[in-house]
Amino acid sequence: MKRTNRSVIPGFGLTTGITLTILSVVVLIPLASLVVFSAQMSFSEIIETITRDRVLSSFRVSFVTAFVASLINAVMGIVLAWVLVKYTFPLKRLIDGMIELPFALPTAVAGIALTALTADTGLIGGFFARFGVKIAFTQIGITVALVFIGIPFVVRAVQPVLEKFDPAYEEAAGVLGASRSRIFWKIIFPEIVPAALTGFGLAFGRCLGEYGSVVFIAGNKPFETEIAPLIIMSELQEYDYASATTIALVMLVASFVTLFLVNLIQTRNTKILKGGN
Amino acid sequence: MSKETTSSKVVKWTLISISIIFVVLMLLLPLITVITEAFKQGFTVYEKAVTDNYTVKAIWLTLEATLLAVFINTVFGLSAAWSLTKFQFKGKKILTTLIDLPVTVSPIIAGLIFLLTFGRQSPLYPLLQDWDIKIVFAVPGIVLATIFVTFPFISRELIPVLEARGNDEEEAAALMGAKGWTIFRKITFPHIKWAFLYGVVLCAARAMGEFGAVSVISGHLRGKTNTLPLHVEILFNEFQYVPAFAVASILVMLAIIILIARSLIEYNGKKKHKVEP
Amino acid sequence: MYVELKHINKHFGNFKASDDVSFGIEKGKLIGLLGPSGSGKTTILRMIAGLETPDNGDIIIDGKVINNVPASKRGIGFVFQSYALFRYMTVFENIAFGLRVLKKPENEIKERVAELVKLIGLEGLEKRYPSQLSGGQRQRVAFARALAPNPQLLLLDEPFAAIDAKVRQELRHWLKEMIAKLGVTSIFVTHDQDEAIEVADEIIIMNKGRIDQIGKPLDVYGTPKTSFVASFFGQPSIFKDYSKFNSFEAIEGAEQAIVRPEFVKVTKKNETQKYGKSAQEGVVTDVAFRGSGIELTVSVNGETLTARRSFDEPSVSVGEKVDVLVYRIFVTAGDNAFLLENKSLREPVVVI
Repeated sequence: MKRTNRSVIPGFGLTTGITLTILSVVVLIPLASLVVFSAQMSFSEIIETITRDRVLSSFRVSFVTAFVASLINAVMGIVLAWVLVKYTFPLKRLIDGMIELPFALPTAVAGIALTALTADTGLIGGFFARFGVKIAFTQIGITVALVFIGIPFVVRAVQPVLEKFDPAYEEAAGVLGASRSRIFWKIIFPEIVPAALTGFGLAFGRCLGEYGSVVFIAGNKPFETEIAPLIIMSELQEYDYASATTIALVMLVASFVTLFLVNLIQTRNTKILKGGN
Repeated sequence: MSKETTSSKVVKWTLISISIIFVVLMLLLPLITVITEAFKQGFTVYEKAVTDNYTVKAIWLTLEATLLAVFINTVFGLSAAWSLTKFQFKGKKILTTLIDLPVTVSPIIAGLIFLLTFGRQSPLYPLLQDWDIKIVFAVPGIVLATIFVTFPFISRELIPVLEARGNDEEEAAALMGAKGWTIFRKITFPHIKWAFLYGVVLCAARAMGEFGAVSVISGHLRGKTNTLPLHVEILFNEFQYVPAFAVASILVMLAIIILIARSLIEYNGKKKHKVEP
Repeated sequence: MYVELKHINKHFGNFKASDDVSFGIEKGKLIGLLGPSGSGKTTILRMIAGLETPDNGDIIIDGKVINNVPASKRGIGFVFQSYALFRYMTVFENIAFGLRVLKKPENEIKERVAELVKLIGLEGLEKRYPSQLSGGQRQRVAFARALAPNPQLLLLDEPFAAIDAKVRQELRHWLKEMIAKLGVTSIFVTHDQDEAIEVADEIIIMNKGRIDQIGKPLDVYGTPKTSFVASFFGQPSIFKDYSKFNSFEAIEGAEQAIVRPEFVKVTKKNETQKYGKSAQEGVVTDVAFRGSGIELTVSVNGETLTARRSFDEPSVSVGEKVDVLVYRIFVTAGDNAFLLENKSLREPVVVI
């Protein structure tokens, strides 16, 4: 890393040194170990591990449940953000404060609470059981848990956009004769889509890797409710480090791709807003 | 836009109702479930579970890991924020991306990488054995994994605030001969107080609740390497539902305290912003 | 009168933004609403548009009381100070917006937008996004967008506030031309007196929520009716006691005297001057370079005045004794302003 500017502010060496050291020890070296370890396996071994039926099925379960959950959160996130910014109603402050609950609550606690709630004996599970719908220990249960942990992402991404939204845009559209619904879909919606997409991407990435809140409610039946993180866990318990690492690598690649796409959205959005051809 | 028409009122209250129902179902009910399940068999059983020896040991371990993680991440967060915002050098963008990386990694993978780096498969293992250092399946491993998953929380709160403020004041002080620590203490810190507190609260919340990563690396030794969330899992899997929820309720209380602290800090931080020019 | 406001009152909390405002505007005229920040001019504009509701009073357009007509149905074009161009729409879509709301057929929309784009001189830029335009270009798109649905009234809120000084001049002329060409009744709000004087057919001056004066630019400038209007234009020197200046009639109850730089002539002791007898002696206390000439601060009989000299006149230095002649003074008593001429000037005496 070249040192380009000599700044008058002191502390460059010390702070950068500490930063890099801790970063290496805590993040870089451990992540590197993943790559190093996988490199020990041959390419064909890797492909064979990944394409095992059970593994493929776990990828599918993870992906589908994460996608559906994030989609629900995208829609509800926009609704919640809208309601919290535009309207006043009783208990509003309370609801606004509770949005971060999924971040503050340990995933294990969320996991057992949701399991108890949606099991056939639980409050909600019992209600649906009468219609023959099982929630806990099915993919629906997994999706419910993933919705829970993803709530804050879209809400908190869209809220600031709505809050900072210049009322002049709505007024301009109004004076030009637009109805409330046209104003929303043509003027406001395009403004919140990028933020919503970012929130969706972050929620999706989180859902893919989620373990604690899902492992209880899933029941972990192979081919049905086994998610990818769980397969890694069970491989580790059988000391099959090789398989665990390979699957982990695939998951890592998936999160990077998600992150990359989110970044892409944000860059494209900045381009439209800030100019440039 | 002054007058509200009947149809927009209908839309308004429909949206509000949907939001309230969603929040009640997805956020409030799980919380309540923990409490109701915990006290299902009365207060004495609750008390016994909460004051059980293993529970107390788990509480201490959780606190220890949290405190260490918060401490190290504070040192890291402050150093990284200082280094990245006060100086110009190549590779800043890469550095920022690397620092944010841990958030996108699944907790299971977070645990796995430490297993690989310090565990039996690692080239470091013989060295560690010689010095009689146990990391994997011991407390240091838990601390490391916790540091990993909460890594960017503090730096991510500080950097935007510092960037928005600019370096003018610090440069002025440096030109007058002030030393680094003085500049930081007297000039920089007062401005980032609230953002810093916010980051610490977020970091502590996540650290206390971390489950997946710790699950991989702890070895689940009761009384020795069990954090509170792990303890909850063990109890639940042994079908000791009431004790599991009892212990979980401790975490719920902590979560609520964290949410309140977060709201207070945000409120105070916003108030401060209004006073400053 | 095409647009009429009758006894409009509006307050925000404790703040009275409009205090018994009444005025009328003829069809086709370009009116400037002028006043300092907080004078209530933007509030009036927004109430006409329907973006705010008056506490009481009537707003009448073309004979119809429109108080209860929602903003979206008033057929008014509004150009916002920040333009409020829709960021995610192209120039074409922005201008077409009002027409799409009216569900006009596609080819009609294409024609009308093309016509407007040509009018504002932005051909070729239809597919651009607002972020890809300069400030002046955005302003013109905002203008076209407001005009597209053929509004009966055009309202502009400080249209040039966000533009560079140089471009501002060009745009002012352009706007005045356009509006004259299209013949649409227009009201624009500004705090810039030069702008109001240059652009408007008539000026309404507002102060603290009330109208101080309405009139043609020349009338308002030359014949101010209130102390506020008198001191608003130009860069006047203001003082309490004008008896220090010779030959001005005393007004009963006079509170303030206002002297504009153009009312003062400073001549060097060795220069020829026409009204030598009427002049008083003064001392130059400051000489400043202004882009269009020299600005002098002179002290006369204990009072300080600002005067101007052009570049081609011989220079004056600080501390120099000069002859100062004050042609006229505005004197205000209560709410009234009086224009006083220097009495001694009625007899021209030539001094060689």
